[in-house]
Amino acid sequence: MMAGAPILEAQGLTKRYGGLIANNDVRMTLAPGEIRGLIGPNGAGKTTFVNLLTGLETPDAGSVRLDGTDITGLLPHRIAAQGLVRTFQVSRVFANLTVRENLLVPFLAAGSPGGVREGQDRAAELLDLSTLTPLADELAGVLSGGQRMLLQACAGFMIPAVRVYVLDEPFAGINPVVKDTLIALIQGENVGKGRAFLIVSHEMEIVRRLCPLVTVMIQGRVAAEGTLDEVARRPEVIAAYLGRAAA
Amino acid sequence: MIFSTELLIQTVISGLMVGVLYALMALGITFIYSIVKTINWAMGEFYMIGSYIQFVAVHFLLGPRWWWLAALISMAGTFLIGLLLEPILIKPMYSRPMQRRDDYATVVTIALLLLLRSLAVALGGPYQYRPESDLSVIWIGPLPQEGARVAASVCALLALAAFWIVIKKTWIGLALRAAAQNRIAVQTSGVDVYRLDAVAFAIGVALAGLAGALLAPLFMVFPTNGAVTSVKGFEIIVIGGLGSIPGALIGGLLLGLVESLGAAFISSPYQNVYGFLLVILILIVKPNGLFGERGREA
Repeated sequence: MMAGAPILEAQGLTKRYGGLIANNDVRMTLAPGEIRGLIGPNGAGKTTFVNLLTGLETPDAGSVRLDGTDITGLLPHRIAAQGLVRTFQVSRVFANLTVRENLLVPFLAAGSPGGVREGQDRAAELLDLSTLTPLADELAGVLSGGQRMLLQACAGFMIPAVRVYVLDEPFAGINPVVKDTLIALIQGENVGKGRAFLIVSHEMEIVRRLCPLVTVMIQGRVAAEGTLDEVARRPEVIAAYLGRAAA
Repeated sequence: MIFSTELLIQTVISGLMVGVLYALMALGITFIYSIVKTINWAMGEFYMIGSYIQFVAVHFLLGPRWWWLAALISMAGTFLIGLLLEPILIKPMYSRPMQRRDDYATVVTIALLLLLRSLAVALGGPYQYRPESDLSVIWIGPLPQEGARVAASVCALLALAAFWIVIKKTWIGLALRAAAQNRIAVQTSGVDVYRLDAVAFAIGVALAGLAGALLAPLFMVFPTNGAVTSVKGFEIIVIGGLGSIPGALIGGLLLGLVESLGAAFISSPYQNVYGFLLVILILIVKPNGLFGERGREA
């Protein structure tokens, strides 16, 4: 792994919806193996930024590079195949498939030479780590919200090429035990396999534990970058979270 | 009409036999809808194409003995036509920013319907054709059944079984089931959803093409022969519920039964009316169809 060369590089990303500028010249670089937090008040443009990175929306300006390769404007499945994977804030598991089948979809889509057997092995490993093994052959529709989030996160890890994993609000509204399982899973994949993470979250305690650096977005722009404690002292960040009067 | 147990049994059998073929049509419509989220109004015209390929293959190339090979060729032919047309006609509905996707797809498939019918008239003239069939009458117990009809039902059953295996046991089937649940998530899982759309469209129209091929010796081959069958397909969708595969199968059998019983025991000129009475009844009792989901976005 080359130190210095970023694994993910977003430059000048801009997205307008009519008169609203949802993302305005957003730039961010992620080092290989980094776990970055992305925080900001509601409506700051975090999810739009994630959508622009992962191809669900096309930027009006700017570019995204993954490990030096320009992936701007590629279709979502191409971006996923190149190793930039995401989860959704509202979990999008396939409720009509079993938990195990949910994991096989991204694995088989990647067309690994190992085929179904390798996929089954990897699925079994992730099911163990995520404590979902007893539910492996149940329909994903029966899972709780937290379990769905775990399943969604595991599905991303099934893509062998994953280098950058973007998790959009993975900890929102899930119970503490599931939270700890998910944190352990992220740390395991990060330390063991050198995968970089970008975690959008409002849970400051978890962000502090997981992310050495955080990026703050306010009103469609990157407002600050640094450790959580550093950025929390910035007056514009305090103002955005608490209102102008507090600044 | 005199009632007899024998007549009842025969009527039920022939109703179920034609019902399987209706189910094939309805399955095609509902399957395309469940993946591509649009109704293909030109479904009957793929039935028509299948029947023409069957006629040409049996009459000019293979002879009536090879009717089953001709049916496979008809199915493969309509599959390929679907695979080629979908990226040109339907894909723009998703690949370009569009305000009213449903309206676009409706207009495009109705235009396709008119184009294909006109093409059939231009190529084959406004005539009726019938591929020869040398299948003899088959006796089911003491009851005689037309050979071509039995053959068509058996082939339709085989096609339904093959469809089930593809959907349940193969990788493409898994991807299709996932896409039916969530198009966005399947894309971010690394699956090319546009390719799936084309495959789903091709499978759906191939089912119609097969139905056309199998029914060609019974219901004739002419430019508008798909109209009645596709109307039945849509009746079944209303009965079974849009997007529901069990709904298409059970709805098809039910429609076949109702028509057949009505024709035998009430009055046969009104055969096509009984299905509509069933549709009206279902709309009153269960507006989403037998297996339809409530509040589904159409």
